[in-house]
Amino acid sequence: MVTLTIDGVEVTVERGTTILEAAQQAGIRIPTLCHDKRLIPYGSCRLCMVEVTARGRTRTMPACFNPARDGMEVATHTENLIYSRKMQLMLLLRSHPLLCPSCDAAGDCQLQNLVHEYEVGEPPFARESRYFHVDNESHFIRHNMNLCIRCGMCVRICDEVQGQRELSFVNRGMECEVSTDFGRPLDCEFCGQCASVCPVGAITSKWLVGTGRQFELKKTDTTCAFCSLGCRLTLGEKNDKIVYVDSPHAGPNEGSLCVKGRYGWPYVYAEQRLTKPLIRKDGSLREVDWNEALAFVANGLMKVKNATGGSSLGAIGSARLTNEEAYVFNRFVRTVMETANLDHAGGHAYRPLTDAFGPALGYPASPNSVRELRDADVVVLFGADITETHPIAKNEVIAANGRRKARPIIVDSIQTKLTERMGSLFLQVRPGTEYVIANAMLKWIIDGDMVDKKALDLRANGFDELTASLAEYTVENAARITGVSAHLIAEAAKVYAEAGNAAIVLASGMNRVGNTVELAQAAVNLALVTGRIGKRSSGVHLLSEKANSQGALDMGLAPDLLPGFHRIEDEAARAKFSEVWDGAIPESKGLSAREMLDNAESGELRGLYVVGENPVDSYPDRGRVEKALSSLEFLVVQDMFMTSTAKVAHAVLPVASFAEKSGTYTSTDRRVQRLTRAIKNTSAKSDLELFTALAAMMGKPSLTYAGSEQIMEEIARLVEVYAGISYGRLGTQGLVWPCVDPDDQGKELLYEGGFPIGKAHLVPAPTLPEPSDDGLPMYLIPAVLKFHSGSMSERSSSLLEVCPPGTAEMNAKDLKALGLKEGDTVKITSGNGASVQVAAKWSRRAVEGSVIVPYHFSALKLNTFTKWDQPVVKVKVEKV
Amino acid sequence: MEERDAILKKKREADRVIITPDELEQLDPVIEKYYGNPGYLIPALKEAQEIFGYLPQEVQYKLAVGLNIPASHVYGVVTFYSFFTIQPRGRHVIRLCLGTACYVKGAKEILEIVQREVGIDVGQTSDDGRFTLEAVRCLGACGLAPVFLVGENTHGNVIPGQTVKILDGYQ
Ligand code: SF4
Ligand code: SF4
Ligand code: SF4
Ligand code: FES
Ligand code: FES
Repeated sequence: MVTLTIDGVEVTVERGTTILEAAQQAGIRIPTLCHDKRLIPYGSCRLCMVEVTARGRTRTMPACFNPARDGMEVATHTENLIYSRKMQLMLLLRSHPLLCPSCDAAGDCQLQNLVHEYEVGEPPFARESRYFHVDNESHFIRHNMNLCIRCGMCVRICDEVQGQRELSFVNRGMECEVSTDFGRPLDCEFCGQCASVCPVGAITSKWLVGTGRQFELKKTDTTCAFCSLGCRLTLGEKNDKIVYVDSPHAGPNEGSLCVKGRYGWPYVYAEQRLTKPLIRKDGSLREVDWNEALAFVANGLMKVKNATGGSSLGAIGSARLTNEEAYVFNRFVRTVMETANLDHAGGHAYRPLTDAFGPALGYPASPNSVRELRDADVVVLFGADITETHPIAKNEVIAANGRRKARPIIVDSIQTKLTERMGSLFLQVRPGTEYVIANAMLKWIIDGDMVDKKALDLRANGFDELTASLAEYTVENAARITGVSAHLIAEAAKVYAEAGNAAIVLASGMNRVGNTVELAQAAVNLALVTGRIGKRSSGVHLLSEKANSQGALDMGLAPDLLPGFHRIEDEAARAKFSEVWDGAIPESKGLSAREMLDNAESGELRGLYVVGENPVDSYPDRGRVEKALSSLEFLVVQDMFMTSTAKVAHAVLPVASFAEKSGTYTSTDRRVQRLTRAIKNTSAKSDLELFTALAAMMGKPSLTYAGSEQIMEEIARLVEVYAGISYGRLGTQGLVWPCVDPDDQGKELLYEGGFPIGKAHLVPAPTLPEPSDDGLPMYLIPAVLKFHSGSMSERSSSLLEVCPPGTAEMNAKDLKALGLKEGDTVKITSGNGASVQVAAKWSRRAVEGSVIVPYHFSALKLNTFTKWDQPVVKVKVEKV
Repeated sequence: MEERDAILKKKREADRVIITPDELEQLDPVIEKYYGNPGYLIPALKEAQEIFGYLPQEVQYKLAVGLNIPASHVYGVVTFYSFFTIQPRGRHVIRLCLGTACYVKGAKEILEIVQREVGIDVGQTSDDGRFTLEAVRCLGACGLAPVFLVGENTHGNVIPGQTVKILDGYQ
């Protein structure tokens, strides 16, 4: 710690803190035009100059650049400094067009604000006009380099934070400006980070052009509803309509957003939004009023229940429900529908991964949090293309790689943005064999005696069984099965074992091949054996798929669970819940999503209530799903859109979007954060309102809440890890569970001091698989694109504009061998006869022998290819 | 809004010059030498320019991939150093001195004559590929002002009216 005085105020800060940060901590503002805490200090604007007196000498220096030292006396606003800042501002104004009245940034422009603050008048020198390029062609973002003050923040954020390096300073001297190569329009991540960081109006988001100014907007802070990272969003509304989205710098994501978070919201206003409930009359879905629809649904469900009992009903929830909604849905299903048959996300996606974590370590959740990745020295990504699935988590790896020379080790069947980084190792595996690599690395580390014995003895059981189970996992065998050279596997193991901070990243996705419990077990074993569990910036990072995947699990949207990971078979837990829930809870485990569909086909399950999920488009084996759903006597779908599943339902209830409701989401870091209602003028009801309305009609009027806050109070009473959480405590940073009492600040890092289950368990590896080959030439890789996520993004005009549906990405060699050009239509056929036609696209991320097709687009029906038990699909590709 | 853009917008010239894939293969040895090594961008660019005479888009993109540098940064470096050029050079490079001595003795008129007669501005190359015009500051031959070089040949004490005749000597 060092202590210094700034403008007479004494501050004590950590060593390495800059003078600027120290001043911020002391509440003293130093003006800056080229500083952002996410960026490496650059020192180009010199506005942050301060006078520093140390050892009797006074010097001026930039505050953003120089570390605070013991005994320094800092003056931030002396007469000289103010004079000099005025002069600097005048110099900036000399060639900056004074078109402020028509500039989109006016009122939010740092230059304008400082000119005002420092009362800068007419400069004593002639103005000068220069002409630079203006780009109106790019999606979402507009460049007008005439306004640029050359602070370099856009170039740096695109490079240091995004790792995209789309922008650069070009030309020299007076001609210098920011540009892409050859001034072409942007072809990048479209994260808009450059626009959000630009202190002036040189780079802006196009939404605001002619729409409104920042200060005219009504702002609401909420949480992003796309992926599981839970970035904080600020929704800006004008005339009750969202026109702009940004992110508060104080949030856990430090103001960074990806393209979906920043520009993906227009689906909220999509024409396809359902506004009125529909029920099936004479074979077709007709719009009716709410009372009729709710009565229809209540009667339909009651009819089945009265005839054949609650066990012939099933319910499928979603990882997009808020915690409160998921909790109430659980109560509704268990005590009103009186069935244990409850699941979400097809029961696979995130569940298999957490199924490995819970028994092995204690909590079915990620032990580490994403922000720690920036301090890792090695990051092993098993089948985790986080650039596409969790863009902001990728930024942490970019930061580690750029600043600490951290080495990314990518074990995947596609190339990713990270494979191109300096120092990376790319282990290109056959789809679905990531866990074989993990086990081979494990064996190599154990054989090479590189295990952390002390940590092992103290903290884990089952080492001998694990070692025995790994006998066959030699690097040579692994090489044969995965297609990666034995040498490379050994090198990856060595790099991982020897690193200081070594983190493993796993990312779940509903149709991601290799997303298995075996992989998660192997990853946990690797981390345990090398003593990395319970360490910051090490351990295992588990990235769930959807905004509330973790919360859905916490709230027990599973056949075997009650909220708080209590088993439904556990009598004491049942008693506790049934008292509060005012109803008996089924005593044994229900059917999983997959079993529900099987039973629907055989007629044992007769009614299904689907909330926020679209099994027809997103579950494997589309044909079976369609058949199962069409056998149902009564299917209710609750969704924002007329999805393929809604189309075959007997009743469809429209619901509110994330911007129209309140509640909380739990991010993949276990961070519980608020969702705050921004849009008030909506005809849709929240899922919550629907559950309570239906409960009343189905004879359980006691299922009612005054609002989401009251539900969270109940959750806190019943779910141990949420015990300390209440709305009043959820600020911009939220709270990370376990948070067990109202004074608990939460725990970002689990297992630092030990395991709740005593010692961790090492789970033996499965027997070595044999490579199977069904003779077809190429692997089909169902992939994720950062621009999309499914039924929401598919209806987001903005995201469709940058990334229209349906292309098959292939390697240049494969394209050539098949005689294809970019844009040619290809037919992809699998062994079971299913086929789709899409346009071919050259792509660097496709490796030879594979074709990548995004699975977000319902029109492609990619799930006609996939099977529940056979995630790896081989196909034939031919020109049409 | 549109109007405002129109005022501010200066149309960016298309910098694209086609270079065939066969020609591009000449770059392979350079890439092999510096493969994956971003630190050697400048020598790689210099060697590439020696091969092609200039650094068009295709060459820059190929170097970017080969040396593992973002294309925007390659372009940034190319446009930073006056030594590098994106436009092909003419067969004869005119380097006209615009230093003080030359300027007062008529370099301005010479410049205007070249602009008018050859049809190129400073930094440009004539359509027929004959001349590239560059402006320089004081060649250190003020005694001969006004001076220009065509290739390696120095022309001093030029009477502006003779400019065209001198240039006629270079085909
Ligand atoms: S939008 Fe993002 S990726 Fe694109 S140039 Fe801006 S910062 Fe870079
Ligand atoms: S465009 Fe904006 S952020 Fe980029 S250098 Fe110019 S002023 Fe700075
Ligand atoms: S990274 Fe995820 S949470 Fe963050 S803005 Fe993007 S989609 Fe939203
Ligand atoms: S903020 Fe310190 S030099 Fe710009
Ligand atoms: S001014 Fe032209 S040679 Fe010196």
